[in-house]
Amino acid sequence: MSSAPNRDNRKLVDRLTALVGAEIVHGDAVALESYSRDATPLFHGLPEVVVTPRSTQEVVEIVKFAASTKTPIIARGAGSNLCAATVPLNGGIVLSMNKMNKILEVDRAQMLAVVQPGVTNQTLDETVAKEGLMFVPDPGSKNVSTIGGNVATSAGGLRGLKYGTTKNYILGLEVVTGTGEVIRTGSRMVKDVAGYDLTRLFVGSEGTLGIFTEITTILNPRPRAAKYGVAYFTDLAAASNAVDQVVRAGILPATMEFLDNPCILAVEEFANLGLDTQAGALLLFGDDGEPDFIDAAVGKMAQIAAEVSGSRGVTLAADTASADALLYARRCSLPALARLGTLSILEDISVPRPIMSDAVKGINEIGKKNQVLIGTFGHAGDGNLHPTIVVDKNDERAVHGAEKALKEIFEMALALGGTITGEHGVGSAKLPYLTARLGEGQMQLQRGIKSVFDPAGILNPGRLGS
Amino acid sequence: MTDKFTQSKLDRCISCGYCLPACPTYQLTGDEQSSPRGRITLMRALQDGKMPFSDALAESSFCLGCRACEPVCPAGVEYGVLLEEWREISWQGKNRPLIVRGLFEAVKSKWRVRAMGVISPTARERKADPNLNLMMGCFERVLFPKVSRTVARIAPEVSITKNQGCCGALHAHNGELERGKEMAKELGEKLSGTILTTAGGCAAHLAAVIGNERVNEFSQWWSAQEKLLKPIEKNGKKIRIGFQDSCHLRNGLGIFKQPREILKSLGDYVEIPDASGCCGAAGSYSLLQRKNSRKVIAKKIEDIKDLNLDYVITVNPGCTRQLATSLRRSRVKTRVLHIAQLIEMAVN
Repeated sequence: MSSAPNRDNRKLVDRLTALVGAEIVHGDAVALESYSRDATPLFHGLPEVVVTPRSTQEVVEIVKFAASTKTPIIARGAGSNLCAATVPLNGGIVLSMNKMNKILEVDRAQMLAVVQPGVTNQTLDETVAKEGLMFVPDPGSKNVSTIGGNVATSAGGLRGLKYGTTKNYILGLEVVTGTGEVIRTGSRMVKDVAGYDLTRLFVGSEGTLGIFTEITTILNPRPRAAKYGVAYFTDLAAASNAVDQVVRAGILPATMEFLDNPCILAVEEFANLGLDTQAGALLLFGDDGEPDFIDAAVGKMAQIAAEVSGSRGVTLAADTASADALLYARRCSLPALARLGTLSILEDISVPRPIMSDAVKGINEIGKKNQVLIGTFGHAGDGNLHPTIVVDKNDERAVHGAEKALKEIFEMALALGGTITGEHGVGSAKLPYLTARLGEGQMQLQRGIKSVFDPAGILNPGRLGS
Repeated sequence: MTDKFTQSKLDRCISCGYCLPACPTYQLTGDEQSSPRGRITLMRALQDGKMPFSDALAESSFCLGCRACEPVCPAGVEYGVLLEEWREISWQGKNRPLIVRGLFEAVKSKWRVRAMGVISPTARERKADPNLNLMMGCFERVLFPKVSRTVARIAPEVSITKNQGCCGALHAHNGELERGKEMAKELGEKLSGTILTTAGGCAAHLAAVIGNERVNEFSQWWSAQEKLLKPIEKNGKKIRIGFQDSCHLRNGLGIFKQPREILKSLGDYVEIPDASGCCGAAGSYSLLQRKNSRKVIAKKIEDIKDLNLDYVITVNPGCTRQLATSLRRSRVKTRVLHIAQLIEMAVN
């Protein structure tokens, strides 16, 4: 899945240089190659030029130029996305937004922040923590991924059940549309229903409707305490049962993450936390809030996890450091799993939470049938699963088996009333399955919407809405 | 086509980008090509013949080789090895920097290394524990001869012989990987038992070639001796001490707790922000990439100044030199010492 070799880019580089200056226009082979991938395996394509704008005005100039010359623009944050949404498969301009990385304002009274798109999740959260606030969305990749990328993919994270995802935290946007016009959607207010909710439309639009240049986000009060624990089970059905009982007991925990046995083994090898590597499933659970409240909630969760049939034991993290180590280890599930082979393909289906264990059972059967190793981890609280297929990339049979398994996993998810992507996005990787998910009617509407914002069809073409 | 890089090591990287925040050169530029992930993308293009090595030469030189990307990599990419392989190919012939050629010449044989020590008074030869031998280093002999003398005084059990060569870390990091490994093996044969070294960079290279069990870095060794020390006072107050990690000692061998434990017992220990981040010395880097080396250390100097420290302690001669010259240039009064020298102040 590699694009054609790069055309002669001198003319394009010269014209852009004349427009916005040589300092932010990079047309050399090293720059082009460096921006030819994101974190999605198998996808690779060279851009014709990389531009690193520093201001909204520069973005406007570039977009207007691209529209007049029909040059594709692929906006990119940290390039950590997992659906090939930022691989320049059709050449064009990679617009790397990570130098627009200022936190413009943190408003303690209104509980909001105004930031440029290149700020990383971790930087924003650490900055607002000094004011006793929390930036809620926390994708697994939060130390590197950017707020612009969050908005583009409506990124989720490890606490979706209690807190929701990016779409619940964006108040307003400054966007450069496909014509080079600057619009400001939403406002600084939680309540504002003047007109169509364009903010929510842009969230998850994967760079196909506009380029975000400023983002206004909701902040939460920072919880005064947090407590985490780990429970082990003989299999995922038992873990899933525990999750159901927790929710039934009226507890809405911040975090309910699970790993299956291959993931436990891989994570333990990287992090050496002393996990129970014999367990069929691990549940990392926890909550944040007032100390007394979370003591009770986490205690109750631990009790439920210990009492369900198939429980192998529960341990509570002794302190914040060991809780952080557990959470970090969970964030590293994917790369740690990747140690087991030379090619790992991560998927992102979501199913209604109560039937999660059926989905995992189905995934394991699909793995067996196609003779490929599948490790599954995910967000047990919200039914979002990340089956990860790990194979040797030189083994043709295995690679073919992986492709077949992927297709079958998507079909199963849809059959169960689930979706093909919970939080990673569609990009190029899942585009072939989008019609099956949405139906032709909605696909038509999506194309119509894109053409309104981007009449020249230059914004991340060949992806959503194309 | 023969492989230029070890393919299985390239395959380890899944381009997740978790390494980006840890990389000092990415912090400077914000450009993908100066991040570990970007450089591995380049290596892949080089491996597949899609790009000539000459195109990417500048990036292979811009990298500090600090390996801060390794401990944060959940996929276990051995970036340091890949970088050595890259320079092995890139830094040949006219592309080998003149300074590197000069350095190689200086340490070419045992007698040359020994001759370097003649101009500066290093520790005297002596026979003590035959299974604990001090590595004298090559450039440390010239630049900081006091360090080996100090070790000789505070660790009487250590045997010392001057007739020993360079450990080859210099070569391995600068485009002569095989020669670098040979030199480490030679040193391993020359010195019996445990080799004690006062240079973190040498410790990591030696250990990678002759085995961790044969090598002890000085702070690692000292902390295992459990010798009790009293805090050092100045004008009736405990001295304020900061510490700069040696990149390869920390990222290659995982040693960073031991020196801190020692320093906590010696005075008022203050963690310098980003103490684990490279100081910009990075072996030959401070000579080859002077401007970038200064950019890398700039923030650290400001931090040290703000902390009002009496001493910054190091465990590697390159760091000592880089910190001392940079602090002097910025007129900061904080003194830079090797950890052995501070220990001696407490012993006396």
